[in-house]
This record gives sequence, structure tokens and C-alpha cells, in this order.
Amino acid sequence: MLLLLILLLPLLGFVFLGLFGKHLREPAPGVIASALTGLSFLLVLYGVLTGGAEWAVKDWLPGIPFSLVLDPLSGYMGLVVTGIGFLIHVYAIGYMHGDAGFSRFFAYLNFFIAMMMTLVLAGSYPVMFIGWEGVGLASFLLIGFWYTEKKNADSARKAFITNRIGDLGFLLGMALLYSLFGTLSIAELREAIESSTVLPLALGTAGLLLFVGAVGKSAQVPLMVWLPDAMAGPTPVSALIHAATMVTAGVYLIARSSFLYANLQDVSYFIAVIGLVTAAYGALSALGQWDIKKIVAYSTISQLGYMFLAVGVGAYWIALFHVMTHAFYKALLFMASGSVIHALGGEQDVRKMGGLRKYLPRTHLHGLAGALSLAGFPLLAGFWSKDAIITSTLTYPFGGTGFYLAGLAVAFLTAVYAMRWYVLVFLGEYKGSGHPHEAPPVMTVPNDVLALGAVFAGFLALPEPLWNLVEPYLAPALAHVEKHHMALSLEWGLIALSAVVALVGLYLGYLAFTRRALPGWYLTFQTWSSNAFYVDRVYNVLIVNPLKELALVLALFDGFLDTVYIAAAGTGSWLGGLLSKVQTGYVRAYGALMVLGLVAVLVWGVLR
Amino acid sequence: MSYYLLLSALLFAIGLYGVLARRTAILIFMSIELMLNAANLAFVAFARNSGNLDGQVMALVVIALAAAEVAVGLGIIVAVFRTRSSTSVDDLAELRG
Repeated sequence: MLLLLILLLPLLGFVFLGLFGKHLREPAPGVIASALTGLSFLLVLYGVLTGGAEWAVKDWLPGIPFSLVLDPLSGYMGLVVTGIGFLIHVYAIGYMHGDAGFSRFFAYLNFFIAMMMTLVLAGSYPVMFIGWEGVGLASFLLIGFWYTEKKNADSARKAFITNRIGDLGFLLGMALLYSLFGTLSIAELREAIESSTVLPLALGTAGLLLFVGAVGKSAQVPLMVWLPDAMAGPTPVSALIHAATMVTAGVYLIARSSFLYANLQDVSYFIAVIGLVTAAYGALSALGQWDIKKIVAYSTISQLGYMFLAVGVGAYWIALFHVMTHAFYKALLFMASGSVIHALGGEQDVRKMGGLRKYLPRTHLHGLAGALSLAGFPLLAGFWSKDAIITSTLTYPFGGTGFYLAGLAVAFLTAVYAMRWYVLVFLGEYKGSGHPHEAPPVMTVPNDVLALGAVFAGFLALPEPLWNLVEPYLAPALAHVEKHHMALSLEWGLIALSAVVALVGLYLGYLAFTRRALPGWYLTFQTWSSNAFYVDRVYNVLIVNPLKELALVLALFDGFLDTVYIAAAGTGSWLGGLLSKVQTGYVRAYGALMVLGLVAVLVWGVLR
Repeated sequence: MSYYLLLSALLFAIGLYGVLARRTAILIFMSIELMLNAANLAFVAFARNSGNLDGQVMALVVIALAAAEVAVGLGIIVAVFRTRSSTSVDDLAELRG
């Protein structure tokens, strides 16, 4: 019942605000939506503290129950979703101030929270799929929130359609699992897989298909193209859906299915490779962006790549640890960007910013905390979780030294682009026109909380021999993967190395981007990077345009068919027109025809 | 027997002529009544000849039906007369489909 309430409260908010939100005065819808999300957070917290819960409707579909489970994994994820979600709701009250769609916005946000919690609490794959599709819909609605501009509507469609490719993978994966084991309950599947000695060969395919779903939702290579465009939505949406929660659903799915992937070495290796490629691609693309939000968006792609690297090598808890720290600092970065955009009246080009430290002292601190945490500045949250991921490539079974080195290189790039973002926005001289003004408290206070998280959340799980609260807590819900321990001196040496890499990256970034002139080779790279290496253009040529041509041909054929049918219908109505001439309206004529008919029948009857 | 049928056929033909040749709704109506009664006569004649009551029953049904038809038909004619001050059926030609 508790679990159902967690879902129903935000859903209630959606229904209520959707129906009556228009009649409420401005802050009311935001307050209601925030309060319901906060309540949901408290309920999750209560559930976690009382040791979890289960709830199910038997025979929801024939043989498949509608089951919700609150175990350590879903509790952990649920706290992140509702907690960060609550802060972002509050922030949005300030950010969306004066928008015509104020109540609609909060209705959608609450819908998103309800669907995300369905996804998180799901005890079986079909239930998770409901949430999965629901958050996709919420994402579509919110990206296209300002739908009067074609660009935004196009971005929303792009996100939705790209996600469909992944969803198909999820669906097929589910179907395959059902045909193999005859159940889709996660607990039962786990039991079946852990108790069987010989695994069916098709299991690898099923794992791969589920991973395709995760690739779509979490914007991994090659389906990453939708996420940067998703920045067309309002900034709180980018923070909540496209950084902190929804895009991590893919990681959550893999962690949920860890019992499956822990037995699939090849698939896990593939996941790690995809994760690494994505991390590198995101970092390289983030370096050249000029839109304040797109820098952060590509950085999100890169960080998601890290998470997939972690789940790929088998370090499931580390991926989830990074999900949490990333949720803090990335939401913070987005909302700091939002405050900047808000202050500059909608300006998003970093070339027209700079020097905002003076004008926005509070937001400057938020941005600094977020950027340093992202860059992996020693002792901040991002440092601990990213270092844990990079180290895990050496200690976990599916990893390797190659992963380690590549991960370290990407960490260096991360530090550089984080510094670039900070330098371009906050340092130097203000290059725009107009007078920036600090955001109201309703926006800065949530950011304060997030900043605290971005700085201190890493202390929840420290490397050995210090304390680690996350791993033992999550352990019962995740597959057991045997890792080998490395010597403490080596471990701390590697930590020091990654700290040095981050610091050098930050320093170089600071040097490079405070200077006026950049070397020629960098400018070339800059052009490529700012266009995200022309992936969109390649996709357009290879996939989108051929599909459009096909659609055109099909439309022509359809038009031909229509013409045929319309001609046939026209013939019918023409014949009818001819016959209707018989209807003269003179009763005598009708009578005469009747008599003629009668005579004809009689004659025929007699002659026969 | 054949006289009855001859009379019936004669009445029917007169009725038919009336329906086709007359323009006044009332007269057409009367002609239809004539045809119905011609049919009744034929029914009764056949019933008497074959010694079973089916034809008689049929005639009674037709009479009941004709009564209902008169009620409806006269109602329509009265309504038409009120709106157009005429009962000529040719004036109603615009009712065609």
C-alpha cells in the first residue's frame, strides 16, 4: 500500500493540476507539485528505514502480476529520484515564474515522477516497461514544452523516435526472457538464473536486447543524438530528466538485471566498450560546444558512459554510486546554468557571457562546486565516484588495463571541459549587454542543497580501508561479483594519480581558456567538436534521408491507391445520380411503374 | 365463382385507373380503397370456394389495415391541404429524392 502511495501521490498531482491547474494562481500549482513529490520522498525514506516492502496484484495479465518492490536498490534509486526531484520542483517554481504554461509544466513534472517511480519500484519487467514508456512520454512532453517553436517540437520528436529504437530492444528482450523462463518477475528470473547450472544460449541475446533498451534511454553511442537536442526543454527539465534521473534508467535497468549480466561476460565486455566510447565521445564533443546547456548535456553523455563502463566491468554498486553523485553535481550544473540563463534573459551562448562572478555571486559558487565535482577535484563527490569507476576497471573481472588508461584519459578531458565551462561563464569580462541579476531564493536554496551534495556525497563510499556505506547496503539486491583486492599502497597511488590527472586537466583548462588566442590545431578540433563530429549529419545521410525518401515513395503509392478508391466511389455516386432521375416526384409516375412491374411479374409467372 | 372474380377484377381495374388518372389526393385515396376491397372480394370468393376460413381471416386483416391506412392517409391529406390549400398530388412533386 505504501508503495502504491509513492506512485499515486505524484500521479494525483498530475491529474489534479492537469484538470484544475488553470484556475490556480501562480505559485499554487508549483507548491502542490513540490509538496506531493516531497511527500513521496518521505514515504520512500520511511520504506527504506523500515526495511523495504512489497506489493502486488495477482493476475494483472494472465500469469504476470503487477508487482512493486522496495528493496535496497529501488529504495536507493527512489531516494535519488524523489529527493533530487523535489529540489528541482522547488527550483522550477522560480524558474518558470510568469510562464503561460506554469501549471501544465508542474503537471508534467509530477507525471514524470510517478512514471519514474513506477520504473524504479517495478518488481517485474512489464511493470518496469510501463514506467520506461511513461518517462519517455514525459520527456517528449517536456522537451516540446514550448511547442510553438518548430525546433523544440522537432527535438521532442527526435528524442521520442530515437528512444523507440531502444524500446523495441527492451520489448524483444522481455519476450525472449519470457520464452526462456516463462516468467518476467525479476525475483523469479534471478532465482532461475542463479540456480541453473547450464544457461540457455539465447540468454546472451536477451541481455544484449535489454542493453539496446538501455542504450536508447541513456543516450549511449550510437543512439546518443537525442540528448543534446533535448536541451530545448526548460532547464529544470534538463536537470531532472536529462541529467539526474531518467537517463540513468538504463544504468538502473542493467543493475536491476545484474544477475543476468554477471553471467554474460561477452555482453558485459561489450557494454563496457560502448560505455567507454560514449564517455570519450561525450567529453570530446563537450569541449567545443558554445551553448551553455549543451556543454553540460554532452558532459552528461560522457558521465553516463562512465556509468556503463562501471556496469560493464561488473561494478554495479559503483555505477549506482556514480548515479547519485552525478545526480547531485549535474543537476547543480544545469540549475546553475538555468540561473545564468534566467539572469541574462534567455541568453545561452557562452561567448556572450563571462565575468558573471561579480553579478551572480551565489550562482558562481554553485557553478564552481558543480564544475569541480564534475572535473573530479580531489575530495569532492565526483572525484570519489569517478575514481572508483576508473579503479574498478582493474579490480573487477570484466575490466582491463586498456579500460583503465582510456578512462583516465577521459577524466583528463572532463577536467578540461569543466574548467572551460567555468572560465567562459564566470571568469573574464562580461561580454553581453543588459544587467544580470541574481536569482530569487526559491532558486538558490535548492542549489545550495545540491551543492552540499555535490561536495560531500562522495564521503558515503570511500576506498578501502576507509568506510563504505553504499556497497554493503546495495549488495543484497545486486549480483555477487568476485573482485580481487589490490594492495593498499597501489590503490592509493592510483587515487593520487587520478587526482593529479584531474588537477592537471583543470590547470591546463584554466591556462588555455583564459588566454585570448588558441593554437590552430585546437581551432580545427573546435569546429569538429562544436558540431559533435557531424554525427547528426552522417545519420541524416545514412538513415534519416533514405527513410524520408521511402516515406515519400510510400506516400506516392498511397496517393495512387487513394485515387483509385476515390474514382471507384465516384463511379458509384455517378450511377446513383443517373438512377435518381427516375424519382420524378409525381405519384402517378410511381404508380404507373408499379403497375408495369406488376404486369411484368404476372406475365413472367404465366409464361413460365 | 367466376362472377365474383370478374367483379373483383373489374373493381380493381377501376381503382387502378383512378390512381393513375386522378390528381386529387382524396380521389386517389378512394381508388386505393376500391382496389383493396376488390382484393377482399377475391379473398372471400376463394375462401368460400375452397371451404376454408383462411381467406376470410385475410379479408378481416385487410379491413383493419385499411382502417389504419385511412387514418394516417387522411391525416396527411388534411395537413397538406392546410399548408398549400390544395390536394393535387402534382403539387407535391418537389418531395422527390
